[in-house]
Amino acid sequence: MATINLIDIIAVLMMGTSFAVFSLRQYRHSVLAYALQTLLLVAIFLALYDKYDSHELLVWSVTAFIIKVVCVPLYLLRLIKKLGVIVEDEPVGGFFISPVVALSFSLAVAMMFYKVFIHFSIFKDVLPLFAASFIFMMGIFGFILRTSFLKQILSYCLFENGIHLSLALMAYTSHELVEVGILTDAVFAVIIMSILAKRFYASYGSLNTSKAVNLRG
Amino acid sequence: MDLLLLILTVPFAFGVIMFLMPLHFKFLQTFHILLSVIVSSLLLCAVGKVVNKEVLSLFHDFIFLDSMGAIFLSLIAITGLLANVYATTYMKWELEGGHISLREVKNYFALSFIFTWTMSLSVLCNNIAFMWAAIEATTLASVFLVAVHNDKKSTESGYKYIVLCSIGLAFALYATILLYSAANGKIDGEAMLYTNLLANAASLDPMALKLVFIFALIGFGTKAGLAPTHTWLPDVHAEGPAPTSALLSGVLLKCAMLGLIRYYAVVANGVGFDFVETIMAVSGTLTLFVSAFFLIRQHNVKRMFAYHSIAHMGVIAFGLGVGGAIGLFAALFHCAAHSFTKALAFCSTGNIARIYGTKDMTKMGSMIRIAPLTAVLFGIAICSLVGVPGFAIFVSEFLIFKAAAIDGKFLLMGIFAVALAIIFIADFSHFFLASFGKVEGKVEHNGEMKLSENLPLIALAVLIVSFGIWQFDSFTFLLDQSVKTILKQ
Repeated sequence: MATINLIDIIAVLMMGTSFAVFSLRQYRHSVLAYALQTLLLVAIFLALYDKYDSHELLVWSVTAFIIKVVCVPLYLLRLIKKLGVIVEDEPVGGFFISPVVALSFSLAVAMMFYKVFIHFSIFKDVLPLFAASFIFMMGIFGFILRTSFLKQILSYCLFENGIHLSLALMAYTSHELVEVGILTDAVFAVIIMSILAKRFYASYGSLNTSKAVNLRG
Repeated sequence: MDLLLLILTVPFAFGVIMFLMPLHFKFLQTFHILLSVIVSSLLLCAVGKVVNKEVLSLFHDFIFLDSMGAIFLSLIAITGLLANVYATTYMKWELEGGHISLREVKNYFALSFIFTWTMSLSVLCNNIAFMWAAIEATTLASVFLVAVHNDKKSTESGYKYIVLCSIGLAFALYATILLYSAANGKIDGEAMLYTNLLANAASLDPMALKLVFIFALIGFGTKAGLAPTHTWLPDVHAEGPAPTSALLSGVLLKCAMLGLIRYYAVVANGVGFDFVETIMAVSGTLTLFVSAFFLIRQHNVKRMFAYHSIAHMGVIAFGLGVGGAIGLFAALFHCAAHSFTKALAFCSTGNIARIYGTKDMTKMGSMIRIAPLTAVLFGIAICSLVGVPGFAIFVSEFLIFKAAAIDGKFLLMGIFAVALAIIFIADFSHFFLASFGKVEGKVEHNGEMKLSENLPLIALAVLIVSFGIWQFDSFTFLLDQSVKTILKQ
């Protein structure tokens, strides 16, 4: 009888949450979906720690929990409250088409990527590697297809989670400082993007980045 | 205290100290220049040690300074210092014009030290993941050096900068992870260290290395301004204050290019030079022609120089594409030549914007009569940018032709010549438009800047001419050593 692999289940759930972060129209719900996804990421770190007894992964799970499950979502929820925005503007191709496009292309690209990654990965399971590429691509498509500045910050968080998962699967033996450096960058990027989002809202009266057309040529 | 440790702590500490300083412009101006001199002296001390063949490393080789790093560290020290000194003059004008508040000036000075710190860190990191983190940090540290004002254009430029560079650099992080996982367990020692990866490049999987290089090219190429992912650069360089543009174009783009060159070295030694040279030649050609096309249409002086930055990153990529000892030497030399030239070009746009109150060249004219020194400095920057003999950029462009001729790459020579000819014609027509004839718009400051205000620009012009006509032994030594490292000779 086939055994159910816990890491595979969590990886699939992470893919589902990345779709939720991308598709949900209410900002608050998107942020909560992101927090849930990061909690699942921490669960994968702990599962890998249990499997490989790698001390680095324990450190990663603690720092990721504090920074990405607690601090970043709280910061983003505060930003949403401050700006007084509830629902994002209609994205490129509409609310229905853009998730379908992102989902199909992310699945297609992930199908290509995971086959390459599995050759070099320390961890050889297919699903988590597939999920890492999928989440990364959902983040990239979030930038391309969603015009809301806040959704783009969440897209950054998404592809950062995809990279973080890849790092855990492919390079968990690397120095703890590497993860600290990458996480620090991610946190500052979210803070700086949030400050710019506030400025953007004050200048344009909206978070719709398609209105930013003053610099062309 | 270890010199590298000082470099890793002092600029950051100065940035924090600057944030805490009182709001008094004269004091901030003097303090900023003083601290900039201290930082640059520290950086140049480290470069001097490498020239004297000392090996500098820290934390079990996590941090190191090799000859290639020393070239780029010297650019941070020299171009960075002169741009920072000019920034004090530029900010004085902005303050007088009521375009900026004193608090914003103080924040600008403080952030410029943090920016210098992140750039230095990116050059000194031997750990490739940390190098990536440092290059990403350079974007974060410089966003508010670009988006200084709260208006629409400034916010838009900051938004485009952080979003496009972050997406691009995400691919570079994937390249880093892939390289590590391909090397882990297959090479002796830590697989995250660039020196170990380079030493053991031949034992790495060639297919993995090819994929790594393509990801690294997308990632670091975006940050360096290589086409087709260059689109953030004209908006950001044109919208930021003149000294910020000088720093971004003169130093930051080179730090990203250094990241790419390090990957170039590892991959070339793993799969052979043909692969990386072909990719870089294609990337360089595309970048040169895309920038030349947009350059012709530009009337905004800063946008024109921004497209020039893209063009010259294309020249560096082209030099790496031509390859061989001379091609690599030329590419690295071009990093320095372009750094000084572009810093002068952007700083002179600060003077020009003060004179005419606009960046539109069609509204300028007669600069040679209004501000002769500024017109001459602007002319020196243009002459160097188009590769006139006697100016720094001519040396590297000539060496690229030479390298291509020696290797019999005549098609590449032809492509390079056509691209440079388009840039030459576009540039001189713009220069004549701004410098001679009648003034088409209005003149807001009818006169030359003070000599003290022009001093950083004069120093840059002297460097451009010196590097065009003189061979500096210590600098040549660093270039030779770097080429030997890449070629593993």
